[in-house]
Amino acid sequence: MTSALLGPPADIAGEASTGRPPRRRRTAGPRNTLTPGAGLGLGLAMLWFSLLVLIPLTAIIVTAGEGGWSSYVDVLASDQTWAAVKLTVTQALIVTVVNVVVGTTIAWVLVRDRFWGKSVLDVIIDVPFALPTIVAGLVLLSLYGPQSPLGLEWANTERAVMLALAFVTLPFIVRTVQPVLEELDHDVEEAAASLGATRGTIVRRIILPSLAPAIAAGAALSFARAISEYGSLVLLSGNLPFRTEVVSVRVLSFIENGNTQSAAALASVMLAVALFVIVALDIVQRRVANRG
Amino acid sequence: MVRVSTPVRWLLRTVAVGYVFLLVAWPVSLVAVQTFEDGFSNFVGIFSDENTVAALQLTLMVALWAVVINLIFGVTISILLVRYEFPGKRALSALIDIPLSVSPVVVGLALLLVYSGRTGWFGPSIESAGWQVIYDSPGMIMATCFVALPLIIREVVPVLTEIGDDQEQAARSLGASGRQTFLRITLPSIKWAVIYGVVLSLARSLGEFGAVKVVSGNVTGRTQTATLIVEAKYQNFEQTTAYSVAFLLAFVSIACLVVVAFLRPQHEI
Amino acid sequence: MSIDVKNVTKKFGDFVALDDVSVSLPKGQLTALLGPSGGGKSTLLRIIAGLDNADSGSVNIEGTDATRLPPQKRNVGFVFQHYAVFKHMTVAKNVAFGLEIRKRPKSEVERRVKELLELVHLSQFAHRLPSQLSGGQRQRMALARALAVEPSVLLLDEPFGALDAKVRKELRDWLRRLHDDVHVTTVFVTHDQEEALEVADEIVVINNGRVEQVGSPDQLYDEPANDFVMSFLGEVTHLSGISLRPHDIELESAPRLAGGVEGTISRMLRIGFEVRLTVLTVDGEEVSVVVSRTHARSLGIAEGSTVWLTPAAGATVIPRMAAVG
Repeated sequence: MTSALLGPPADIAGEASTGRPPRRRRTAGPRNTLTPGAGLGLGLAMLWFSLLVLIPLTAIIVTAGEGGWSSYVDVLASDQTWAAVKLTVTQALIVTVVNVVVGTTIAWVLVRDRFWGKSVLDVIIDVPFALPTIVAGLVLLSLYGPQSPLGLEWANTERAVMLALAFVTLPFIVRTVQPVLEELDHDVEEAAASLGATRGTIVRRIILPSLAPAIAAGAALSFARAISEYGSLVLLSGNLPFRTEVVSVRVLSFIENGNTQSAAALASVMLAVALFVIVALDIVQRRVANRG
Repeated sequence: MVRVSTPVRWLLRTVAVGYVFLLVAWPVSLVAVQTFEDGFSNFVGIFSDENTVAALQLTLMVALWAVVINLIFGVTISILLVRYEFPGKRALSALIDIPLSVSPVVVGLALLLVYSGRTGWFGPSIESAGWQVIYDSPGMIMATCFVALPLIIREVVPVLTEIGDDQEQAARSLGASGRQTFLRITLPSIKWAVIYGVVLSLARSLGEFGAVKVVSGNVTGRTQTATLIVEAKYQNFEQTTAYSVAFLLAFVSIACLVVVAFLRPQHEI
Repeated sequence: MSIDVKNVTKKFGDFVALDDVSVSLPKGQLTALLGPSGGGKSTLLRIIAGLDNADSGSVNIEGTDATRLPPQKRNVGFVFQHYAVFKHMTVAKNVAFGLEIRKRPKSEVERRVKELLELVHLSQFAHRLPSQLSGGQRQRMALARALAVEPSVLLLDEPFGALDAKVRKELRDWLRRLHDDVHVTTVFVTHDQEEALEVADEIVVINNGRVEQVGSPDQLYDEPANDFVMSFLGEVTHLSGISLRPHDIELESAPRLAGGVEGTISRMLRIGFEVRLTVLTVDGEEVSVVVSRTHARSLGIAEGSTVWLTPAAGATVIPRMAAVG
């Protein structure tokens, strides 16, 4: 459903932009086909985009660098910050690995299995995306908090962080893998079977390699989302320094203490990770496109 | 197609359903249970609390503005990216996705650094012109716009690419002006993608928390949105109110999902 | 002259799609732009329509300089290879589009749409959506849509290219008859020589961004300007330094005519009423020859037979160019 939304970036800038047969694709190098009206539209859109996104993000980088390299390092090297970074990255990695396994399984079940209630499952997958993050935290508290019907007391522990991250990142791998699995050519699997491959071999040698780029893309998005998560953790994790405090919470407490430079320093690291993920996704995407 | 043996199929099915049930379905249904534990009175009660009503109104206002702005910006950018060539196009299309992977707290901080009335880059001059951005609704609208920015674009771009420009060229060869072509041909073709994107943006905008928290100042009755009131009420041990507002938000966002699920298949292009 | 194209050049990056092309297309005729794909014929058509702009050169339509005019001001009808139907509009709405844009009175629009749908035999489908039509029907609808605005020229870009062979043949005959009724100056692009020869009054052969030859189907077939035109319009073989068509070679089982070239039949293939022979001459040339089945039988030839080849009297021959063939 929201595959276009959660999937890797749509290849907007590539040559396939006009959807027309080859004639147009001969265009070499950057060209400008803007009409005056379109130029005006682009100008206004860029003005708004700059005011909303580009200039504010630049402000973070500039502010982070204001105190020089040493103060930058000081912020990141402080014990409490370092603990937050370690916790966030560890939990994000664990959750990403869980998502790779479970997300791929769910995608498989949604595409290849048939059972009563499957379409409900399909809709529920998107719930974590649509649900406000603060509500997500509250929702998890009701099952894993103090009044847990399961008798689990996971609130204010590392497990709570993992739970929240798993909740909000659930749709990513499912929704990137699902469409690829749907379009997988059955002939190829049948060809492999006719050549004597067992089911296990077909899954390992044929299906998983075709899904790998989608899984990688979903994992990258899932990781990026996990390390930047804030809302769902507020009520669930208790934000205990050195124990359950994640990077976003650390940035917020810097902001609330009026220490914008430290906040910007930490935020710039998070931005770098986000940018890295976007570039990596772009490369994966292009590689897949070139594979034909 | 690979036919999985029955035990393996059951194993996979159990893992998938079990995981989603424990992580999503059960917890979400518990919120409904807790909201209506004592009948409808708690839920109806939130509408008599002045601050809660103000928060709900503010949330709706901010979300609607953000959706309208993102709609205009999103459709414009989508058409520019798909139908035109210009230098820097590829960079722009990559930058558009940034808001998807930036922490909401960082979004709030970024806006604070530029538009804060005291210390921001532009804030003081905007304030002296009589406008307040941070700790007021413009800042909250901007924060919401930021986080929901790519949603409409990501829906519209693939559809625009898919339909190609043949129909638009045909319209132009039949004498339609640029405006006529857009209104009569392009817009009807991308209508469902736009509606889908709008519904998603609305769900995202209503539920934004982190970024709004940073730029709003969280002043009760004035800049407190519905999501912020959930946090405040929960921490004040007014859990029933917290659950009721949370239920309302969850209900609206899930309703958005269901609407979208119904819209999509029939009108797939 | 209805359409005058002068010195038009168009490049896409490094690729030269049109290289200093000039053609004049007479009024009221049905002209084919014929050539291999990628040769520039579609680009030329799109430049005439204003859908692409030439890098240099000029386009004149019915006496007006149209070089800088946007497509909506040129009053041309354009029919696209993949129909470019407006998917969200009914058949009648599609046809009415151009008239509604021109703000014609409602009664006139209705009357015109009715007439046109009758003309293209789609009256009973007026209220269907294009997705409910077959490919051939969609293309007829696209044609009606283009004709509705009474264009001064009608341009068709590979109009039958996406259709299957049988429908293509039907539509081809139908286009010819339609043109005889409507008489609008029509230009269509095709890579199918049979289509061009059968339908067009005049053919412009375009290859590698250049005009190779302009003429009537007979002129092109009988007096091809060069090897390319000759080979594009039909099969070509070579016999002692000249290019000619395989069915224009006289085949004898004894050296009766002067200048006959001796050879051995290395392959013999019967397709329907004709027999295709490959003859290996004593000069080491492989020559293709087509004879009728009856003729082949009367000569009593088989693979391995020795035969003598001479160009038939009145055959179209051109000297063989060293570089080609």
